[in-house]
Order: sequence, then C-alpha cells, then structure tokens
Amino acid sequence: MKIKKQLIKRDIAGDTILVPVGKTVYDSNGLFVLNEVATFIWDNLPELDTQEEIVAKILEEYEVSQEEAAKDTAEFLGKLREMQIID
Amino acid sequence: MKKVNTEPYIATYLHSKGRRLKLPIGGNFELTARCNFDCPMCYVHLKNDDIQAQGKELTARQWIDIARQAKDMGMVFVLLTGGEPFVRKDFFEIYDAMKEMGLMISINTNGSMLSGEILRKLIENPPFRINVSLYGGCTETYKNMCGQAAFDKVIENIRAVKEAGIDIRLNVSITPYNQQDIEKIYAISQELGLHAKASSYMYPSIRVNGGQYGHGDRLSPLEAARCSVRWDKQRFTEEEFMLRAENMKNLIAVDEPDCPADLDEGVGCRAGSSSFWMTWDGRMLPCGMMPGPAAYPLEDGFESAWKTIVEKTAEIRIPPQCTACPKRPVCPVCAAVCVTETGRFDGVPSYVCQQTEATIQETWKAYQERKTEDEN
Repeated sequence: MKIKKQLIKRDIAGDTILVPVGKTVYDSNGLFVLNEVATFIWDNLPELDTQEEIVAKILEEYEVSQEEAAKDTAEFLGKLREMQIID
Repeated sequence: MKKVNTEPYIATYLHSKGRRLKLPIGGNFELTARCNFDCPMCYVHLKNDDIQAQGKELTARQWIDIARQAKDMGMVFVLLTGGEPFVRKDFFEIYDAMKEMGLMISINTNGSMLSGEILRKLIENPPFRINVSLYGGCTETYKNMCGQAAFDKVIENIRAVKEAGIDIRLNVSITPYNQQDIEKIYAISQELGLHAKASSYMYPSIRVNGGQYGHGDRLSPLEAARCSVRWDKQRFTEEEFMLRAENMKNLIAVDEPDCPADLDEGVGCRAGSSSFWMTWDGRMLPCGMMPGPAAYPLEDGFESAWKTIVEKTAEIRIPPQCTACPKRPVCPVCAAVCVTETGRFDGVPSYVCQQTEATIQETWKAYQERKTEDEN
C-alpha cells in the first residue's frame, strides 16, 4: 500500500511515533503513537497490497487468532484512511 | 474563557516519560543574540559589539550537529528562538535539516520578517507552531518599546501566516513601555482569532546586564500585579473572574503554570530533566533564564553535556521559605526566578513575593468592586 503522506517514524524510549513532515503538518494535529502491532503493520505496509496480506503477515509473526489480527488491521487501516495517509 | 490546548497530549506524555528516564525530549535553540528590534527587557539580545566581545555565534553546521546528537538521545520537540531567529541568513539551512530529522519544530519570532521568501518557505515546509511576540497595539508603542515602527507589518504578517493554515499563537510581555495597550492588545488577539498568553513578570536580564541580579527595565511589583489583573479582566467572563478571585483568595491554584511543573523543592519543571536550552554561543543550560549550571556540548559532546546538566540540575534547591509558603500555588516562583532575582537558587525573590501578594489583593479588590456594582 502506498503511504501518501510524509511521516517519519521515530523510536523514543520504547514508544514508536510518527512525526509529520512537509505539508503533512497541515492535516495532522501533532504526532501519532503506534502500538506494537500498528508498528509492525506500518513497517510492512509498502510491500503489502491488501488487508488479507497484512493479516497473513501478522499471523506469521504473532500468536493471535485470525479474527483478532483482522480486527486490529481493519481498525488501523481505517484510521490511516481517515487521515488520508493511504487510499 | 475558551480553554486552549497548549500542547498535544503526546508531548505531555513524552516529557513525563523523559523526566523519569532523563531523556532530552525538548530542546530550545537560541540561534542568535542578534535582533532587528531592541526591547529593553530582553534577556538575550546584545548589540553587535557585545556579541563580538562575549562569544561567537554557532554555525549552521554546528547547530545541525547538536540537533542530530540530541535527536539520537530522544529529542522530539525543538523551539527555535533568539534574538530574532530569522535574522540568520542560514535559518532555513538549519530548519530544513532539523525537519528532515523528524523533529517537531516551533519558532519564537517578533513576526516582523514573516513575509516574502521566508513566509513562502515556511508555507512549503511548515513548522508545528509559530509564536509571535506582540509588543503593542499601535505603531507608537512599537517605536517606544522595540525601536521599530513595525506594528502594521507585524499584524499583516500574522494574518498571512494564519491564512496559510500554520498554527500561530501570541505571546505578550507587559512592560512599562506597553502597559497602556493591554486592552488594545487583547482586542487585537480576539480580532485575529488567536490565543494570546501574557505575562507582566519579567525576569531580570542578568545574561545581558552584567549579572545585576534583581534588576530589569520592568514594572514595579504592584504595577505588574495591576497589569495582570487588567489582562485577566479582558480574558475571563465576569463569572470566571469572580470564581478565580475567590480561588486566589483561598490560595488555590488558578492558572496552568507557564512551564508545566510540580511544586517541588528543586527544579519542578522539565528544565534539566527532559529539556535543555542551548545559548547562541554554544552553552547548554537547563533553562534559558538561568545563568548556569552550564555544560559545553561542542567541546564535550552532547551526551556528556546533557549528563552534566541533569546531575547539576538535580542538586538545585529553592529556598525552604518558598517550598513551605502557603501562597506557592498562586505564585510563579521557580529556580530560575530565585537565581535571577537574588543570584542564588536558594534566595527568596522578594519582588515576586510582593507581586504575588499584590495580585491576590488587586484581584480581590476587583472582585469586591464588581460585587458592589451588582448589588447597586
């Protein structure tokens, strides 16, 4: 999936945050904090095209149920779409 | 008064984590002591001759290098200040490099240069926030206070920045030179639709006045208290003001402090525990108002300088009279206030004691006047 906005990932003492750069500053009210699964999805996003592929990737890495992985993925992608970070 | 979120929740969270782990989450970079204004209460601005005599301004490359080392240790938030930061011809070399590192940048400026090429570049790659110091409500006051008839230009620039969608706030320093404009300044902030924060307490400018502790070109404690009540009358509704007066009378905290702080016996704010200040000539301080403790990242590296600042800041104690004072919740006392007023961190800052007492009294007086008016 193509990330449309300019965001820089930073690791600060165990937290992962996304810092808006360039014109992205205009549409975001500050920073985003990612939890572990969101960070995993974010890191793999450029290579994966569909929600199903993301869920499959999560299942390879984490011991969670299909339902849980699908729910987390849908929620996170929904937020990214809401903020127009992905299509 | 409408409540304004002064910083994103994540910033508060990261700073509190930083304070616990002693990480430099916030950095204040005083890029220059030069300024196109010449305000009497300024704690940084020097004349060109004095700058040459006192030290050397850091190069863009040095600023970028310090920022990179700070970022590697956790810095997320940066304040670029001065002097007037935009007088540096290489401002954008520094700014763009810092933005690319993934830093959230705020800029303090007098607003007079926020136009043309500078504004265009800011719109292209915007900062998180711009804080403009608004020094008066008319050209005359600007001439008296800043030595420049820049009022119209500043207002025009503020409008253009706001129009571009960049977050902008106003800071107001109330001094003998602009106190007559308090109501006008507030009205302008409302008309511009911008949040304005005012202070009538001016730190003694010890960094530029040869270390004359307790001295500054400022209002008397009573005048400062009266000005602060005049500002409060503007910004609060009648009901809010009355409640505030009652709380103040009962010594209950009424304001968010200027710097988020615990009522601690030491340095209760973020200075030297999750934030640092770099002076224009390359010294690291816990806070820009303090003359020291200082460390030297150019000579010793950022990490070592930060460690020194953290250790020395932890040793600072304010006077026990202040720690135990019942007025503490409504008093702006802090370690920087004590040292600039008295030359010692553990010296009682009598100017501030008087201003706090007068603010309580003057607020109560206004409360009673309003009560009487209502009864009649």
